[in-house]
Amino acid sequence: MTKATKTGLWALGGIALVVWPWLTEDKFLHHVGVLILLTAIGASSLHLIVRTGHVSLCHAAFMAFGAYGSVLTVMRLGLPWPVGLLVGTAAAASLAAMIGPIVLRLTGKYFVLITFLIGEVVRMAIVENVALTGGSNGIFNVPPPAEIFLSNRAYYYLALAFAVLSIGLCARILGSEFGRAMNAIKDGERLAECSGVPVVRFKVMVFIIACALAGMQGSLMAHYNKVLSPENFSGIISLNLVVMNVIGGMSSLAGALIGTVFMVMLPELLRGWVNLQQIFFGAILFATMAFMPGGIIEAARRIGALLRTVRAPAGAPVARPGAAE
Amino acid sequence: MAATGTVAKGEETPVASKLMKPIRAALLGGAFWAAASVAAYAQEALKIGGMGPLSGGGTSWGLAAQRGMDLAVNDINAAGGIKAEGKTYKLELVFYDDLYTAQGGKAATERLVNQDKVKFIVGPVGSPPALAAISVTNPAKVIALTNGYAPGVLKNDTKDPYNFRLYNTNLEFGPPIIKWIKENLKEVKKIGLLAPNDAVGQAVAKPLAADYEKEGFQVVLDFFERGTKEFTPLILRMMAQKVDAFEFDGNSPGDAGLMLKQIRQAGFKGKVFQVGGPAVDEIIEIAGPAAEGFMTYDFIDWDMPKAKVLREAYIAKYGKGIISPFMPAFYHGVYMVAEAIKRADSVDTAKVRTAMEGLSGFDIGIYGPVKWIGKETYGVNRQLMMQYFFSEVKGGKIVKIKKFTP
Amino acid sequence: MLDVLSRLDILLNPTVLGQVVVNGISLSAIYILVALGFTLLFGIMRVVNFAHGEFAMLGAFAFYHLTKDFNWPWMIALPVGVVGVAAASLFLEWLVFRWFYQRMFESMIGLLGLNMMLIYGGVLIWDTHERNIPAVSQDVFMAGDVIIPIDRLIVVVIALAALAAFYVFIRHTRAGLAMRAAAQDVETAETQGVDTRWIYRVAFFVAILLAALAGSLWGQIYAVSPHLGERPLMMAFIVVILGGMGSIPGAALGGALLGFTESVVGTAFGAAASAFLSFGVVILLLVFRPWGILGTPES
Repeated sequence: MTKATKTGLWALGGIALVVWPWLTEDKFLHHVGVLILLTAIGASSLHLIVRTGHVSLCHAAFMAFGAYGSVLTVMRLGLPWPVGLLVGTAAAASLAAMIGPIVLRLTGKYFVLITFLIGEVVRMAIVENVALTGGSNGIFNVPPPAEIFLSNRAYYYLALAFAVLSIGLCARILGSEFGRAMNAIKDGERLAECSGVPVVRFKVMVFIIACALAGMQGSLMAHYNKVLSPENFSGIISLNLVVMNVIGGMSSLAGALIGTVFMVMLPELLRGWVNLQQIFFGAILFATMAFMPGGIIEAARRIGALLRTVRAPAGAPVARPGAAE
Repeated sequence: MAATGTVAKGEETPVASKLMKPIRAALLGGAFWAAASVAAYAQEALKIGGMGPLSGGGTSWGLAAQRGMDLAVNDINAAGGIKAEGKTYKLELVFYDDLYTAQGGKAATERLVNQDKVKFIVGPVGSPPALAAISVTNPAKVIALTNGYAPGVLKNDTKDPYNFRLYNTNLEFGPPIIKWIKENLKEVKKIGLLAPNDAVGQAVAKPLAADYEKEGFQVVLDFFERGTKEFTPLILRMMAQKVDAFEFDGNSPGDAGLMLKQIRQAGFKGKVFQVGGPAVDEIIEIAGPAAEGFMTYDFIDWDMPKAKVLREAYIAKYGKGIISPFMPAFYHGVYMVAEAIKRADSVDTAKVRTAMEGLSGFDIGIYGPVKWIGKETYGVNRQLMMQYFFSEVKGGKIVKIKKFTP
Repeated sequence: MLDVLSRLDILLNPTVLGQVVVNGISLSAIYILVALGFTLLFGIMRVVNFAHGEFAMLGAFAFYHLTKDFNWPWMIALPVGVVGVAAASLFLEWLVFRWFYQRMFESMIGLLGLNMMLIYGGVLIWDTHERNIPAVSQDVFMAGDVIIPIDRLIVVVIALAALAAFYVFIRHTRAGLAMRAAAQDVETAETQGVDTRWIYRVAFFVAILLAALAGSLWGQIYAVSPHLGERPLMMAFIVVILGGMGSIPGAALGGALLGFTESVVGTAFGAAASAFLSFGVVILLLVFRPWGILGTPES
C-alpha cells in the first residue's frame, strides 16, 4: 500500500465517522455510536496498561471516580460540566497516583488479583456510602453537559471529539520513545531496568494517564446515561474491557478498538436471544483463547497471509503470521 | 425477529404434530395469502414493548414479566385484537433484556422507541432501569407502565410525563399493614430488619423502618452484601439485641426463604413477617416446614376468576413451577394498555394517556377494580392501587388473613 | 476501642458462641472443598478455573434431581451425584480444559467463557428460581444453651471426612505422589516417568469431585439455582489468594480463616464490616506477601 492510498483511506474513514449520523434518523443507531466511542476510550486506555505487562481488573473503579466526581461537582456544587469533567478526571488520576506505586510492584497474576479486589472495595464503598453516592440506587436526573447534548446525535460528536483525542494520545504514547521503553519493559523487566529505564516510575506514569482517561470516560458516560449507579462500575465492566483487548488482540491498539466494536455491537445484534447470547459469547471467549490467543487481529493476519501464499509464486517470501509485534 | 411469542410457539409444538407441519404450512400458506389480501385493510400489527432482566440475578423477574406479557398478547389477539380508529390491531410483543441496570434499561428503551418504533411499553421491573427508561420514553411521548419502587419514578421534574406505575409500592401498602400489625400482634415491640444493600433493599428498608418507628416500634436495621447466603451471624446478632420479630421486605424470595430457615434453626420462636416482597410460593419452597406461621404482604388472589384461568394457561405453556406475582402484574399491564387504546379509539399516545388516567375501576378479574392514586405522595395520579392482603402460611399454604381494598 | 470490645460481648453468650463456632466450621469446610480443587488445578496445570463454581452448581442439581425426582435416600444420592458429575465433566476436560494446560492467562479468560456457557445453559434448562433440597433432618441438637441444627452437623461431618480422604489420597497413594511431583515441577516430573496427561486427568477428576460435593452440601443448607456457583467461586478465589496459589495446606488454612472471620466478625459487627475486613486483609497480604500465607514465592 502506498503512502498516498493509506492517507486516502484514513481520510475516508474520518469522513465516514463524521458523516454517517446524518444518513439515518434512527436515534438508536446514534446511541450505539455513542456507546462504542465512549467504551473505546476505556478499552484503549486499558490497552496502555496492558502494554506494560499488567492486566488490570479495576479500570471501572477509575471510571467510577470520574463519574461520581463529575456528577457530584455538577449537581451538588452547581458548577458547569467542564469543571466536573476536570474534577472527575483528576480524582481518577489521583487515585491512580496513590495506589499505582504500591500495586505496580506486583507482577502477573498477583496484579490481576489485587486490582480485582480494589475494584470490589471501591464498588462496595460506593454502595455503603448512601449519603454521598445514593448507594445502590445511585443518582438520577444527571444533567447533560449542555442542553444541546440531550440529542443522541449531538452527543455522538462530543464523544467522537473525546474519543479521537484520547485514542490519539494513546497511539502517540505507544509510538514514541515512551512506547519503545514500554515494549522493553514488557519483554524483560530486569533488562529494561539495567539499561536505565526506571521501571516502576515509568509504569506509574502510564498507569496514571490511562486511569485519568478512564475517569474522563466515566464522566462522559454518566452525563450521557443521566443515571449513575454502582452496577455500571462492577468487576464485570472492568472484565469486559479486558475481554475487548483480548478478543481484538492484545498486541496492538487497533486490537483494542476492534474488540470494542465487536463487544458493544454483539449484544445489540443478539438482544432477542439473551440466554443464548451469553452462551454464544462464552463460546467465543473460549474459542478465542484456546485457538486464537492473538484475537481478531491475528486471525485477520493469518487469513491475509494465507491469501498471499495462495497468490504469491512458490518460494516467494511470505510474512509469517504473528511475527509482527 | 425479537418477538418472543414466536420463539416460544416453536418450542411447544408436540412431536406428533411436527410431522403435519409441512402439509399444514402449505395449506395455511395458501389460505393466509387469500385472507391477508382481504384483511390487510382492516388489520394492522401494533407493537407493544416490554423489558426486564433476562440475564443475571434478577432473571426470574424478567422471565415472569415476559411470560405474563406474552400470555396477555396471545389472549388479546385470540379475542380479536384491539379495535380503534376503525381498524383492528393485532398486538406483537417485543421484549428486551435490561440487565437490571440503568445502562441496560436505557439501551433497551432506546431500541424499543427508536428502532422498533414502539409507542407503548410495559416494564421495566426495577428502579435503576425504570429511571433510565423514563428519561427516554417521556421526551418521545411513549406510554410506559413501569415498576420500580424508587419514588423518583413518579416524583420528578418531568414537565409532561407519559409514565405510570404498574403496582403498589411500600409507600402505599406499608402504613396500613403496619397499623394492623400493631393492633393484632401485640407481643411485637422490637423488630429486626435484614435487607440487602442492593437497589431494592436500600430503597425499601429505611422508609419501612421509619414507618415502623412512627407506629412506636423499635427497629434494628442491618444491611448485607447481596449474594450472601449465610445469614446466621446477622440473625444471632439481632437475637442478642433481643428483637421479638424479624422482618425482611426488600429481599429476593430465595434469600427470604433462606433467612426464614436459618432464623428458625437459630432457635428463634417469635413472629417473622414481611411487609412487601410478595413471592410467597418461592419462600415456602426454600424454607420448607420453617415457613409455618410466616406472614407476608401479598397482592395476588389466585381464586379470582381470571387469575385461576391465567394460572392454568401459564402451567400449560411453561410447565409447573413457581409462578412469580410479576407474571399476572405484567399480564394486567398489557390489558390496561389495550383497554386505554380501545377507550381512546386511537393509538395516539396523548389520547391514550388521557384514557389511561381514566381507568380507575377497571377490572379484568385479576385484582378486582384498580384505582389511580399518588397525587399527595408524588404530585401525579399515576400510581396504580389494587387490593392487597396480609397473609399467613398455615399447613404449607398461604391463607389470607386480612384484605385491604383501595 | 471500647465500642469494639462491647460488641464482642455478644460472643460471650454461650448460645451465640456455640452457633458461631458451628457456623464457622461449616462455612470453612465448604470453602475449603471448593478452594482445594481450585488450587489443585492451578498448582498442577497452571489453570485458573473461573468455571469452578459451576461444577458446584452441577453437583447441587444432580443431588436435587436424585433426591427429589427419583426419591433416592440422600446417602446414596449424594455420592452417586457427585461421582456422576465428576465423571461427566471428564468430557469437558477433553473438550475445553486440555487446551489451557500450562497457559495461565489464556485459561482465565477462556474458562470465564465456559463459566458463562454453563450458567446460561443452566438457566435455559432449570430456569432461575431457587429450589430447595429437602432437609436431611429438621431436628436441632441441644446441649445446655447451645443449639445446633442437625443438618449442619451432617454437612460438617461429610466435609471433614472428604477432606481427610483427600489428605490420605494426596499423601499416601502413588497418584497423589505423582500429583505433588507435577505440582512442583512438571518438566522434571515428566523426565521421571510421570505420565502428565494421566495425572492431569486424575487431578481434574478429583478437583471436580470436591467442587461437586461442596455444591451438593451448599445446596442442602442453602438453595439451588443456576447462579449457585458465583458465591463459592468468589470465596474459593479469596481463600486461595489468602493461603497461597497452588498450596494445598494454604487452601485449608485460608478456608478456615475466612469461614471463621465471616462467622465471628459478621456476628459481632455486621455484614459490611466483615466484607470490608476480609477484603482489606487480603489486599494488604497481596502487597506484602503476594504468594500468600503458605505459598512459595516464584523465582
